[in-house]
Amino acid sequence: MLRVLGRRLATGAVTLLLVSALVFGLIHLAPGAPPGAADEGIRSLGAEATAELRALYHLDRPLHERYVLWLSDLSRGDLGRSFHDRRPVADKIAERVGTTLLVNGLSLALMALLAVPLGALAALRPGSWSDRIGGCASFALYALPVFWAAILLQMLFAARLDWLPLAGVRSQGWELLPPAARVADRAAHLVLPVACLSYGGIAYLSRFVRAVLVEGGLAESRRAARARGRSESGVVLFHGFRLAGVPLLTLAGFLLPALVSGSVIVETIFALPGLGRLFVEAAFQRDVPVLMALTLLTGTATLVGTAAADLTYAIVDPRVRRGKA
Amino acid sequence: MGTRRRRRQERARGPRVPSRTARPALVAALGLLALAASSCGAPDRPGRSREVRELLTHEPASFSLVGKSDYHTERLAALVTEGLVQFDPDLTLVPRVAESWEVSDDHRAVTFHLRDGVRWHDGKPVTAADVAFTVAQVRDPAVESRTWLPLFRDVAEVEVLDERTVRARYTVATPDFLEAWRVPLLPRHLAESGAELLTGGFQRKPVGCGPFRFLRHVPGEEIVLEANADYWDGRPRLDRLVLRLLPDQRTALRALVAGDLDLMVASWDLWREALDADRERRLASFVYYRTSVWIIRWNQAPESPLFRDPSVRRAMMLALDRERYVERMLGGLGRVAATTYHPDLPWTDRELAPLPYDPAAAERLLDEAGWRRPRPGAPREREGRPFRFTLLTAASTQQIVDHTAAWLQQSWAEIGVETTIEKLDWSVFFERLHAGRYEAAMSGLSTTPSPDQYELYHSTMREAGVNSMAFADPEVDALLERGRESFDPSERRAIYHRLQRRLLELQPVGCLMHFATVVLHDRRLRGVEASPIDYWRTTRGPRLWSWSEED
Repeated sequence: MLRVLGRRLATGAVTLLLVSALVFGLIHLAPGAPPGAADEGIRSLGAEATAELRALYHLDRPLHERYVLWLSDLSRGDLGRSFHDRRPVADKIAERVGTTLLVNGLSLALMALLAVPLGALAALRPGSWSDRIGGCASFALYALPVFWAAILLQMLFAARLDWLPLAGVRSQGWELLPPAARVADRAAHLVLPVACLSYGGIAYLSRFVRAVLVEGGLAESRRAARARGRSESGVVLFHGFRLAGVPLLTLAGFLLPALVSGSVIVETIFALPGLGRLFVEAAFQRDVPVLMALTLLTGTATLVGTAAADLTYAIVDPRVRRGKA
Repeated sequence: MGTRRRRRQERARGPRVPSRTARPALVAALGLLALAASSCGAPDRPGRSREVRELLTHEPASFSLVGKSDYHTERLAALVTEGLVQFDPDLTLVPRVAESWEVSDDHRAVTFHLRDGVRWHDGKPVTAADVAFTVAQVRDPAVESRTWLPLFRDVAEVEVLDERTVRARYTVATPDFLEAWRVPLLPRHLAESGAELLTGGFQRKPVGCGPFRFLRHVPGEEIVLEANADYWDGRPRLDRLVLRLLPDQRTALRALVAGDLDLMVASWDLWREALDADRERRLASFVYYRTSVWIIRWNQAPESPLFRDPSVRRAMMLALDRERYVERMLGGLGRVAATTYHPDLPWTDRELAPLPYDPAAAERLLDEAGWRRPRPGAPREREGRPFRFTLLTAASTQQIVDHTAAWLQQSWAEIGVETTIEKLDWSVFFERLHAGRYEAAMSGLSTTPSPDQYELYHSTMREAGVNSMAFADPEVDALLERGRESFDPSERRAIYHRLQRRLLELQPVGCLMHFATVVLHDRRLRGVEASPIDYWRTTRGPRLWSWSEED
């Protein structure tokens, strides 16, 4: 068990290193180099000033040297400073990671809470009318583009009905409110973004759960239980978990990076100061240090997620434990 | 919806208490607050807070007032601090922190006398040493003062003569020297120097001598400023100014309609919706034209022979029905441009009409240049080579840019010229532009109130300036040089009028149109005045905004 873990960690570290080198190279290979030559504003400073600035940002060094520099800073826990505003990258991420974690965490939780019962319900009577209608609804939801749904939800619940706030993470004057009202205000701001982020996942996951359960013969087990006069719900629960548990855990492992990567569209429409927006802004600004840090973050989350999924596999499924995991 | 909206609008002006949740209790609390405010609140606006919430689409890159300067940092700096001089709405530079100044006979030195009683937000007086310190910071490349550094290029030294007198000496005499002294002043006793200015404590809590004090910045959410009661030119009429960050324009428009925002500039793609929103009873709008113009750069370098002939460039412009495009596609919110000179500036020759729409003349000019149609209706060619080129555009979030490019392509197809549109990411676009790796490129061009467009048109500015089209004309060069040496306004006007005629004739860049800036605001907000350099940049900026009682 420990050896499995150790090996995962070692390969994970190597993968991260490779990913970071690749991304570093790709950013610099992409046309429109980081600040300097292409930046109209910097050009207006004149040739001498431009050269001085490029030196300040180490842009005068060859690519591999810059990468090594970045790595050595990283090994000291220093993510560097943003090219765009010279603020420490760690600060920029720290002030935004909370929003993204909260919104994405809530939507993941909502997905899990709704998708499993919905999928199980559909799997009990595969091919029935309720299953078909549920299926159609899932596909429709899954196909619904987020940017459109977000705007419609805003128009209905915020602009027309005035039940929920339009955008942002809190109201103005929030700090003057009593604690309970503050929490309520934050919660109200989260409703629409979380709904937008989760409906597609709920639709997808419920179909996934249904497929796993139908294939595993949940309906048959239930029929058998009924024939034997045993508790139906107990069988459904037991078989449901046994069948869908492992695939769902794997999926959860893959969903972990989504927790930190943030959603550009939802964060932009609802004016949420999250990591998705930061990433896009950084990409447009060719803000290499911020891009590298965010890549590292998502990469780590991906590796941790898949490793965690593998380990839970090993715990849940004895074949994996003994075999060649 | 009616009652709900009214309720919300009343709330919108009240203390900003969130309301969507725990509604009954909050409504009650709001009632109490309103009562309290009306009994003891501001005399001219009982029950309403004197606060304006304005849209900000991007966070300023730096809060250091001069560092990393761009549109958004300038926006903040114009509120928090002030320069020695500033433009009034007629674009005349008038004294601000400087009370007066004298220019030496040879125009190579200027002495500023600072106004008595101008204080930093911490109470210390603004001194000549602060002015010298500010110039030193702006001239340090590590501060990355894109807007201001180039304007101080000809300054040889800045001397502090006494507490309130400062003298600048120039290496060359220029008639437009005063514009640089709009530079936002920094307090020497608080601000760091050099690269530290971008990272140190000052930029976390910038201090200036302007009409508003910096209160706080919540990253990704808002910047809050409050009135500076000690402002030398009178306390602002507002108590607070909140710059709200809403990255999505449509969300911002909905916030404005709902009363969660008081003022915004609508992007081009929102024009139609914005003007519809104007029909909402509580909104008002106005339109102005900034000193910017949409142009097509024609590459005239020897390695790109297509557009070296002025008559070909002229033919390309004659093929465009710009009046109709402005009317049909821009809803009238554009002005057809004659040259890169803004039509409302004193230096502009207003008698100069833009090139007309005359496709027959365009075809004739192309025929004469040797670009003929092998058969009627077929694409043009010369010596077996088809007239085919690529137009670069920068990828924008604004659809209007794509529409404009498509319209150009179609208009040119009608005179037998084949255009490919290549849409590039901003930074790639500028990289290609500056390297001269293009045949034609469309982009917006911002100009200043100064008539000096030397960097755009002078033949020596191919590398250093923005003349990436490698345009070279001896007469234009001579006029640009004379314009920089003339200190007599009427003589200067004559020089620039002649220059504009020459530019219209040679078409070094194709000037399409000036796009309007549409401002939407709560109709009770008074004092928002437009000018070709924006509604916030002149001496009559947000400090004179106020709320009116009538609805």
